[in-house]
Amino acid sequence: MLKVLLKKQLTEVFRGYFYNRKTNKARSKANQIILFILFAFLMIVVLGGTFTSVSLGVCFGLTAAGAGWLYFALMSGIAVVLGAFGSVFNTFSGLYLPKDNDLLLSMPIPVKTIIISRLLNVYLLGAMYSGVVMLPAMFVYWAVAGATVQNVICGLFLFLIVTAFVLILSCLLGWVVAKISLKLKRKSFIVVLLALAGIGLYYFIYFKAQDWIKDLIANAVIYGDSIKGKAYVLYLFGRIGEGDFIATALFAAATALLLALTIFVLSRGFLKLATSAASFGKAKYREKKVKEKSAFGALLTKEFARFTSSPNYMLNCGLGVIALFALGVFLLIKGADFLALIGTAFGGRTDFSALLLCAVMMLISTMNDMAAPSVSLEGKSLWIPQSMPVEAKTVLKAKTSLQLILTLIPMLFAAICAAVALQTSIAEKLMVCVLPLIFTVFSSVFGSLIGVTRPTMVWTTETIPIKQSGAVMIALFGGWGFVALFAVPYLVIGYFIGLLPYLVTWAVIYAAASALLYRRLITKGAEAFERL
Amino acid sequence: MLRIEGLTKTYGEKKAVDELSLHIRPGEIYGFIGHNGAGKTTTLKSVAGILSFDKGEIFINGSSLKKSPVECKRQIAYIPDNPDLYDFMSGIKYLNFVADIFGVSSEERQKRIREYADAFELTKDLAQPISAYSHGMKQKLAVISAWIHSPKLIIMDEPFVGLDPKAAFTLKEMMRALCDNGGAIFFSTHVLEVAEKLCDKVAIIKQGTLIKSGTMEQVRGDESLEEVFLELEAE
Repeated sequence: MLKVLLKKQLTEVFRGYFYNRKTNKARSKANQIILFILFAFLMIVVLGGTFTSVSLGVCFGLTAAGAGWLYFALMSGIAVVLGAFGSVFNTFSGLYLPKDNDLLLSMPIPVKTIIISRLLNVYLLGAMYSGVVMLPAMFVYWAVAGATVQNVICGLFLFLIVTAFVLILSCLLGWVVAKISLKLKRKSFIVVLLALAGIGLYYFIYFKAQDWIKDLIANAVIYGDSIKGKAYVLYLFGRIGEGDFIATALFAAATALLLALTIFVLSRGFLKLATSAASFGKAKYREKKVKEKSAFGALLTKEFARFTSSPNYMLNCGLGVIALFALGVFLLIKGADFLALIGTAFGGRTDFSALLLCAVMMLISTMNDMAAPSVSLEGKSLWIPQSMPVEAKTVLKAKTSLQLILTLIPMLFAAICAAVALQTSIAEKLMVCVLPLIFTVFSSVFGSLIGVTRPTMVWTTETIPIKQSGAVMIALFGGWGFVALFAVPYLVIGYFIGLLPYLVTWAVIYAAASALLYRRLITKGAEAFERL
Repeated sequence: MLRIEGLTKTYGEKKAVDELSLHIRPGEIYGFIGHNGAGKTTTLKSVAGILSFDKGEIFINGSSLKKSPVECKRQIAYIPDNPDLYDFMSGIKYLNFVADIFGVSSEERQKRIREYADAFELTKDLAQPISAYSHGMKQKLAVISAWIHSPKLIIMDEPFVGLDPKAAFTLKEMMRALCDNGGAIFFSTHVLEVAEKLCDKVAIIKQGTLIKSGTMEQVRGDESLEEVFLELEAE
């Protein structure tokens, strides 16, 4: 039975690679290979490469100081944080929100079996995120300190222990999220706030990490002795990577026990959580006169309602709102010093500061990509806009407008703050404001067009269209590509052209591209929407 | 009210609906019956303007659905076989959303929401999110949203599924009242007793082809609708 469920779960996880979610047809072999290569490139080259360089920076110093165990404790800590952080919402939606929960619970399948099959999904994601840290860390250690049969075997066990621990932590956090979603009223916003606090903490640690690591390497012996004395468990844990069989056996047994306990606890509460309707309070209906809206106004309000109802949607597609406001505040407080520093780094050229600021604002705006999954999120309720007396282009305009409103306002704030902070001419200040705003229009229309031409209409949890759909990937990475397209050439030709003409040229290019894409959206995009 | 002429819809190689023609006049409740996969839902979705079709024409009050889809959709309402509504909205927000789209005035919608929600005993739950609704409650909400803009033609796919007996009775009364006021209803059902009692006319579809249609008397003759249906299915 477990085998059947695992097969179903794996099919669901990797379905996007084998089947086109738009047409529901099998992809060609070539298409599958390209998708897997792209995925492998992202995981192995981009993320794996980053953590290989981190490992190299840390490993030499710590192994030279005889603190290989500290190296493994540190890298495992990073892996656990990354793995658990990456999969907490996936745990919640994967365990408690799948649309086939009722179906599976109605079948003669033990609850424990359903949970284990669901956990595999979570485990794979956690293992993927923690693996990009742990695997390079282990290979680097073996290369630096030498690989022996003993430390290779123990290293592999360490990887399994870390991934299992990530799973346990994800389950606990997912359970907390599930509890919150059952108990609280304004849960969407509370979940978003908690997640933002988590993100803030994550980035605080991320930016401080380099200093801490430097300090750790410089004082490895002192810290090592201190940890050994005060937190012996951590020392013992790190010893696994160095090939300590006793430590490996102890931690493997403890992790297995914890995992079994987690599955036991989850299976006890799973039925209640998975089948409970969330607590909606006692909202009482009171008849009141409402203000009439136009069809477009109604559609736009609907898009806002959808966005604000889902923490998943807000966190994955709307972080740019907060980030742009934060950037603006940062520029107001520290902008002048920061820009002067950048100017100095580029040989006193203030034009680079302005260009970099534009690029940063544009890059942050690409974090807002709520238009891209919007059509996919219609899912089974697609019949509603399709059967209503509204043109498809009006529906698409409303979806685009959501992103425009949520990005243009913070972008305007950030751009004005940037203009205040920059020490440059009025014309350049104006262009530093105008260009990111035009780019926002461009990326909103681009996201909408990609969303309607590459929708994912068949899904069991909203995580699929929001996080794993082709439309979102293209909108996000495409956005980065467009920013690079703007910023990189300046390094070569900027000196000859000058900043102002360069910014004006790109403003014209993005304005023209926005107009062309908009035209395509309301013609070909609308046709595509009608055909869905 | 509704004229379907030579409607043909294919999915790949398979003809889901083949040269189907029907005419529904004002005041008529028109039942549409057939086995699973016969082409009922495809026909209804085509009439509702959700599915594009390969051949034929659909006219609603004389307007071509192909040429003036928005104008046609303004006159109709559609209820699907499964009421997948916007779960992230409350019942009242969904009704107001539909009313806004169809341009129903504030006073008029308030009056109709009160009338229909009371009739379906849904008033106290209107402030609850749709995600908390049962299947039957969603079906009631879908019915109210269909009636909220006083459409001339209502297209329904298995509308009685999930409704309790009282709500089913209320819906039948509403269907009759709409047709008595010059509207028309085109709906599919597997409950032949309901079709027999409620419908003025009935059409039977088999493998995408209309095999019999007309008034209830013309179709069933001296037999019951069930007997006629089973005989036709066996042929």
